[in-house]
Amino acid sequence: MHPVHRLVRTASFRFAALYVLVFAVSALVLGEAIFVAARANLEQQMALGVQTETTFLQDEFRQKGLPALLTLVQLRGREARALDYLVQQPRGVRLAGEIPANPGLRPGWTNLIVSGEREEDGRPERVKALVTDLGGGTLLAVGDDLNRVSEVEEAVTSALAWTVGLAAILGIGGGVLLSRAFLARVDAIARTAEAIIAGDLTHRVPMRGTGDDLDRLAGTLNRMLDRITTLMESLIQVSSDVAHDLRTPLSRLYQRLEDARDQARSVVDYEEAVEAAMREADGLLETFSALLRIAQVEGASPRAGFRQVNLTAIVESVVDAYQPDAEDAAHRLTAQIEQGVIVAGDQELLTQAISNIVENALRHTPSGTRIDLRLHESSGDAVLVVDDNGPGVAEHDLPRLTNRFYRSERSRTTPGNGLGLSLVAAVTELHAGHLLLRNLAPGLSIALHLPRVVKSRPLGREDA
Amino acid sequence: MKILVIEDDEQTASYIVRGLREHGHAADHTPDGRDGFLMAGSGGYDALVVDRMVPSLDGLSLVRALRSAKIDAPVLFLTALRGIGDRVEGLEAGGDDYLVKPFAFAELLARLQALGRRPPLAALTTTLCVNDLQLDLLKRTATRGGEKIELQPREFRLLEFLMRHSERVVTRTMLLESVWEFHFDPKTNIVETHMSRLRGKISRGGRDSELIHTVRGLGYVLRASSS
Repeated sequence: MHPVHRLVRTASFRFAALYVLVFAVSALVLGEAIFVAARANLEQQMALGVQTETTFLQDEFRQKGLPALLTLVQLRGREARALDYLVQQPRGVRLAGEIPANPGLRPGWTNLIVSGEREEDGRPERVKALVTDLGGGTLLAVGDDLNRVSEVEEAVTSALAWTVGLAAILGIGGGVLLSRAFLARVDAIARTAEAIIAGDLTHRVPMRGTGDDLDRLAGTLNRMLDRITTLMESLIQVSSDVAHDLRTPLSRLYQRLEDARDQARSVVDYEEAVEAAMREADGLLETFSALLRIAQVEGASPRAGFRQVNLTAIVESVVDAYQPDAEDAAHRLTAQIEQGVIVAGDQELLTQAISNIVENALRHTPSGTRIDLRLHESSGDAVLVVDDNGPGVAEHDLPRLTNRFYRSERSRTTPGNGLGLSLVAAVTELHAGHLLLRNLAPGLSIALHLPRVVKSRPLGREDA
Repeated sequence: MKILVIEDDEQTASYIVRGLREHGHAADHTPDGRDGFLMAGSGGYDALVVDRMVPSLDGLSLVRALRSAKIDAPVLFLTALRGIGDRVEGLEAGGDDYLVKPFAFAELLARLQALGRRPPLAALTTTLCVNDLQLDLLKRTATRGGEKIELQPREFRLLEFLMRHSERVVTRTMLLESVWEFHFDPKTNIVETHMSRLRGKISRGGRDSELIHTVRGLGYVLRASSS
């Protein structure tokens, strides 16, 4: 698009143009009002002046007679800013004054042309005059120059024209400047977007640090890009992890089948081989469904299927389920569970997440380890803490515990697919909560914070 | 049992139908939802296996339509992919059980048998008896040969479930779902450990023959000793 077109099409330019238009219209309306009021006032003043003069001259005439009046008229006609006069006998004979005699004059207000040209601007001088009958057909006319009104009108009109003109120039100029600044920043955003479309995800919208609206928009866009980048990276990571982690069991499955083909001789041999192959396939299916589950949880929209969930009941039921197992493995599993902690959430997912945390603690610690579980409400959050005094996790491994397929060096030999805590993280995310992993040295502490405690009832117990 | 299988995947359907017939059940099959609805309405089936995604009328709507037509044959939903809330949705539509593909045939069979022979007066039953083992559902007490057995609440529920389904195989996942409300597969042997404790409590020092039998690779069955 042509640059001028782009400029004219920007929102800021249109705003500026609209503003100028509104200003011009209001200035015109205001000007017209002033114009009308000023003219009315001026005409009133003129009429008053003419009337006073007429009364004065009438009095003079009555007291001193016609010659004195004629002298007075000639005298006053020579003054600066003088009014215009005429003393006329019947049949249009002028005795004094500069208004031309006119046999058609009648008493009352009338408009007259006094002379061909005014001395100042050469326009015909128009006069508004009051004609009075002095008796016996002698008429006195006193008038004032109508052009004085026109002069005021012209002054107002020209002031208005200047105002509107200047406003238009300033407005449109300002609009252009504003639009160019705006366009430059929009262009910067567009360039970033283009670069990202072209495949370079490292680009970010430049920020000025002024904190204005465009800056805030840029900040939001950058955070969105960060999020997309993280998602892309995790997608790439997951795909390669899946490929890598499923290759091992698949090749084991293949080897077993190959072995059976080459070595098995009896029905028993074949049955054993089939059993073993099925076990491998089971493990693979399990890994797949765990991955699928995590993907579903991550892709689910929060609160879609949320109901009130009794977290107390879930935690009690999980502890209850794992207690015999813990005892058999000589773990000491203890629990302090606050009653009546209710959150909005998905019952099945929360049960699975909490089971995974407990299971994780049970399976990755040696016998004799203490596992302490606490559920309580703290400033509107439901907090579940699972601490153990086992060997713990290396500090640099902590952030990676929730990664898919991540298994610390020590736990590589224990069964599991490295997806348990990934699901916990996904479920936590879905519930808008957060998961805190801490090193207790010795031991690991996992704290699950879930917001939106619906209510917490200190009394009463709901058994699962 | 007479079972209707509504499933559009030929391979799965023939796998199910063949298995059911091998186990002595009569099985009909249709790949189409609307046909399935008509057959279910007139066929007098003991149980229905319904895939969630079948052409012309999807599984959920089919079951809703059946229920509003007062056809209350138990329904087991099959689905290839379980989304969040799918199970609840299926049960709310009037389904009785839910199984995610891929599944072992034995699991499907056990669940169908559990559905098909539900005691009709379950709500009114207050005591359950198998041999000399007695469960009082009101007092929540268990006795064997008149002697009281101390059971944890969870153990009581486990035993109750086994006794309600006596003589039928209950699978590990059925127990996890009904007794613990765990709709996932824990990596730990929680069913096995609870079961061995329960067995220890009701075996009375091995004097009697065992009531609870393990079905290898599948689950458990509580069987009255024939002697």
